[in-house]
Amino acid sequence: MRRPVAVVAIIIIVVIYGAGIVAPWLAPYGFNEADFQNRYASPSLEHPLGTDNLGRDLLSRSIWSAQTTVIVSLAAILTGGLVLGVSAGLAAGYAGGRTDSVIMRAADTFASVPTILLVLIITATLLPRVIDLARDVEDLTGADWIVSSGAPSYFLVFGALAIFGWTGIARVVRSQVLSLRQEPYITAARASGAGTTRILFVHLMPNLTNLLLVAFTLSMGALATAEVGLTFLGIGVQPPHPSFGLMISEGVGLSNVREHPILIIVPGTFIVLLVMSFNLLGDQLTDVLSPRHR
Amino acid sequence: MPAGLATYIIRRLLLLPLILFIVSFATFALGRYAPVDYVEIQAGPRAQPETIERIREERGLNDPVPVQYVRYMGNALTGDFGISTRYQGFPVADVILPRLWITMQYNIVVLVLTFSIGLPLGTWAALRRGTWQDPLSIGVFLLFASVPVLISIPLLQWLFSVQLGVLPSGGWSEAEYLGVEFGLFSKHAILPILALTLPGVAGVARYMRGQVMEVLDQDFVRTANAKGLKASTVVTRHVARNALLPIVTILGFELAALIGGSIFIETLLGIPGIGLLAFESIKTRDYDTIMAIVLIGSTVFILTMLVIDVVYGFIDPRIRVEGSMS
Amino acid sequence: METRRLVLTLTGIAVMMIVVIGGLGAILLASGGGDDSTAGDDDGDDLGARVEGELRLFGPDPITLDPACASDAGSAEYIVEIFSGLVSFDLDLNLVPDVAEALPDVSDDGTVYTFHLRSNVLFHDNSRPVTADDFKFSLERSLNPDTQSTVGEVYLDDLVGAAEFIAGNADEVTGIRVIDPQTLELTITEPSAVFIDKLTYPTAYVVDQREVGDATCFEGSGWTLTPNGTGPFKLAEWDLGRKIVLTANERFHLEPAPALERVTFILSGGSSFVMYENDEVDVTGIGINNIETVRDPNGDLNADLHEGPRLDIFYIGFNTQEAPFDDANLRNALSLSINRDFLAREFLLDLVTPAKGILPPGIDGYNEALPEIPFDPDAARDLLEMAGGAGVIDGATILTSGQGATPSDILQAVLAMWEQELGVTVTIEQEDFGLFLRDIDEGKFQMFSLGWIADYPDPQNFLDIKLHSESANNEAGYSNPDVDSLLDQADREADEATRLDLYQQAEVIVVEDMPWAPLYHGKASYLVKPYVEGFVIPPFVIPNLRYVTITR
Repeated sequence: MRRPVAVVAIIIIVVIYGAGIVAPWLAPYGFNEADFQNRYASPSLEHPLGTDNLGRDLLSRSIWSAQTTVIVSLAAILTGGLVLGVSAGLAAGYAGGRTDSVIMRAADTFASVPTILLVLIITATLLPRVIDLARDVEDLTGADWIVSSGAPSYFLVFGALAIFGWTGIARVVRSQVLSLRQEPYITAARASGAGTTRILFVHLMPNLTNLLLVAFTLSMGALATAEVGLTFLGIGVQPPHPSFGLMISEGVGLSNVREHPILIIVPGTFIVLLVMSFNLLGDQLTDVLSPRHR
Repeated sequence: MPAGLATYIIRRLLLLPLILFIVSFATFALGRYAPVDYVEIQAGPRAQPETIERIREERGLNDPVPVQYVRYMGNALTGDFGISTRYQGFPVADVILPRLWITMQYNIVVLVLTFSIGLPLGTWAALRRGTWQDPLSIGVFLLFASVPVLISIPLLQWLFSVQLGVLPSGGWSEAEYLGVEFGLFSKHAILPILALTLPGVAGVARYMRGQVMEVLDQDFVRTANAKGLKASTVVTRHVARNALLPIVTILGFELAALIGGSIFIETLLGIPGIGLLAFESIKTRDYDTIMAIVLIGSTVFILTMLVIDVVYGFIDPRIRVEGSMS
Repeated sequence: METRRLVLTLTGIAVMMIVVIGGLGAILLASGGGDDSTAGDDDGDDLGARVEGELRLFGPDPITLDPACASDAGSAEYIVEIFSGLVSFDLDLNLVPDVAEALPDVSDDGTVYTFHLRSNVLFHDNSRPVTADDFKFSLERSLNPDTQSTVGEVYLDDLVGAAEFIAGNADEVTGIRVIDPQTLELTITEPSAVFIDKLTYPTAYVVDQREVGDATCFEGSGWTLTPNGTGPFKLAEWDLGRKIVLTANERFHLEPAPALERVTFILSGGSSFVMYENDEVDVTGIGINNIETVRDPNGDLNADLHEGPRLDIFYIGFNTQEAPFDDANLRNALSLSINRDFLAREFLLDLVTPAKGILPPGIDGYNEALPEIPFDPDAARDLLEMAGGAGVIDGATILTSGQGATPSDILQAVLAMWEQELGVTVTIEQEDFGLFLRDIDEGKFQMFSLGWIADYPDPQNFLDIKLHSESANNEAGYSNPDVDSLLDQADREADEATRLDLYQQAEVIVVEDMPWAPLYHGKASYLVKPYVEGFVIPPFVIPNLRYVTITR
């Protein structure tokens, strides 16, 4: 218990993400369950956070929205961070030379794009096509829940985030690999005939975990913010699927904020808590895992 | 200029067209790949399909994408960035430039404020390690850095425009100085600058604090301390220089991310800047405007990165040898 | 040594930044630093100081100010003040002559319209009067395939020779004849009661050929920054995306001449309501969040409240060509389980009027006697049984536009009602607006929600255009030969009273068939400062600014 702050952060993250994961069992109401007699209700036992303009329970909506945040951020960090970022960083750092050049140029290209713009363009233009594709898959496999589950828009969102987010992790991994490459135990491993794969996964990766842990934690905050932003602009997860961005877009607008500030305060608080916790955790991890810091 | 540096710069400059090509072609192709184009959107519910098809054909929208791309880029190289369809019939350059001017105004101020306040603030926080001010400052920085603009702006609007009534709820001023529109020195600029500076300063301060602390722990600093040098000398001479370098990278990234970030601010506050234009252009499939904005954004980024790298290369010759700054 | 290096570095960075930023800034400044508009006199920083005789309000950001090209109401709002046509509507929705000195002489067979133009209508630069030749140029320009207008055909295709001209097989539209400089003769292919109504739309407005030249809809719009129109107001300034300033045309040819000196439209930024409270604008719309504050009789905004009907309708359309919505029983079941009264009065706080038919109140031919559509869940359930039970609609979807934004509250309310009263669950599918239009045109939907606002105040614009089986705009695919024949008859009928009666008969049948579940008609609710007189938001886009005066 030497770091109470970190513990608090972890608790917050676990609570919010946990709620998101068990949303179908936890949320008392559906995301879109309207109750027209009870619009803009004040907090009560029945509706601990009150209701919105259609009488929908704000607590439930928040829980469902957390689910979206969990799905998108985890999917994005796994594909973008882990799969793309780490492999690219490993390859560039270890192989060096040509491979390194090519990968870093690619990273430059992806990073040089005004990210939000491209993501906007991608989701605006590709979503109908992805839905068509999903429908084709539905026809082929007979699984008719694909489109209605919102999978196409989720996929597009975390896909876009992953494609534009991998460069950061890749650079960090590459740096680390570059410096580790000269370490005696690596040279020894190579001398004793160990194959590249073995070296990468058995020797290098474990030394990257600390770094990755920190990097991932800090990225999660950014990813959550990005998802909220995209949905707010209308190009992220599509209604009726839940998202904090959607809740915020309904609460924004001066007249709304004036008359019903709770519509923004509820999702806003959850997001700020989540992002703060990730950032806090990231900082604490940096302190702990970095040998130079006391 | 040392020969190594010159070749380095040239090598980097040569990459610029390649990257621009990839980015622009990808954007162009994506835009054209959308199922509905601007003719159809603008025609609305009343027009006949044959009319739409005829106009589409005449505008060259049915030509193969590479052909259209070459045509566009050919024009762009001569300075003709096409014609807007959102503001039907007006050259894209005429539409973009005034908006870019506005976005730049408040963003430059934000950048300057962010670094001029954030750097000293972060240094100060690092030096307070061990006192009660340390966790307090960490907490404050963290809080401000974690509140997305989406949330801070409606709250700021509510506070300053509605409750206190001292700031306008949005828009941009038309004040002119010496014949040039310069809305920066007006109440309209306060909300966007405030909303962007708070998280900006917090972020930079956090980062700077980390950097400074890292340097403070290094041996040579402790040696200097042991030698009896004054704390301020130690800080300025050793700490600042070493901690400063990575900050330069951040500056570059911030500068380059201007356009993307401004989308949210301008949508929420109704500021007629380039972010809002980008958003509207995408919705209305104003291809030429989108392309121009993406090209500008990418070019600014790449040039900024180049400048940063050159500066790095100048400071630290080791990096030049390694080939690139990650 | 170390210090020098540090200083050099920092200076270097600073210099680089200044160069990059300064360079960018210089380029921008050189390009005019923001003034893409005509040299109007600038208001300076604030709108708080009102110029005398000036009306300030928010306005839509137009796509174009070229009359031949405007396909949206936002653009049309300005065009109808800057330009004018042969005829227009007054605030009571009477058709009145505009540039024409009187309503046209119509030939016995109803196909030839002869307009005599006034001799005193000058273009805004006072250089010369408008002639019939100018109209021929303007009308042909709207139809010219080179102009690439998406709407020219929609309103002018009745003209003889239009089809050939559009196809590129003719050099002119033969149906437009200049008899002499003051006389214009328009011939249409078949008699039509609404042809003259269509002439009130911007595509038939007159433009100055000397300044327009060969500008098209998509290129060369520079002339629209300083247009030489003939309307009650001149365009003093158009700052793209930021503001539009109109000034009075002192030589306007109709009475009343515009009394305002200046109208400033704000196109971007801020909240209209908040600015109204701060006396920064003189008129504002009201939304659902403000209406109760405004209606409070003790509040100071109450006296400023104005309301008026809008000639529109919001409805849910069914795909009548495909099961299960080809069954009228099902459609009626769904319609009867919507509590329109609750929706309009309580849910939307009386900002709209519940719809009972297709035609909105205020239009010629509105049928007062048409009974309201009852809210009758029991009857609805019976009908549903007859149609095959709730299972028949399982998994049905309703298509709506607006990708990403929350589906409208009303739609969600209706769906909740269906769930509650009939136990059916319908899913909302949202699409990008362009894609939405295309899908409903191609019949790729089960239900959709949409609105329609009048182009001209005639039942034909609702019943015929949207529900005639041969109409291109009949997305629901509704086809009823009885209705068709009534509509065709009405089209040919010369006597106004009989015509309207025919439309009313058609409407009755339509309501029985329920190809649409009409929801509500809109209302304009807005605040007007007490010192502004004569400001009215008209039921659809017609010029209204010349009736406004400011008494301080």
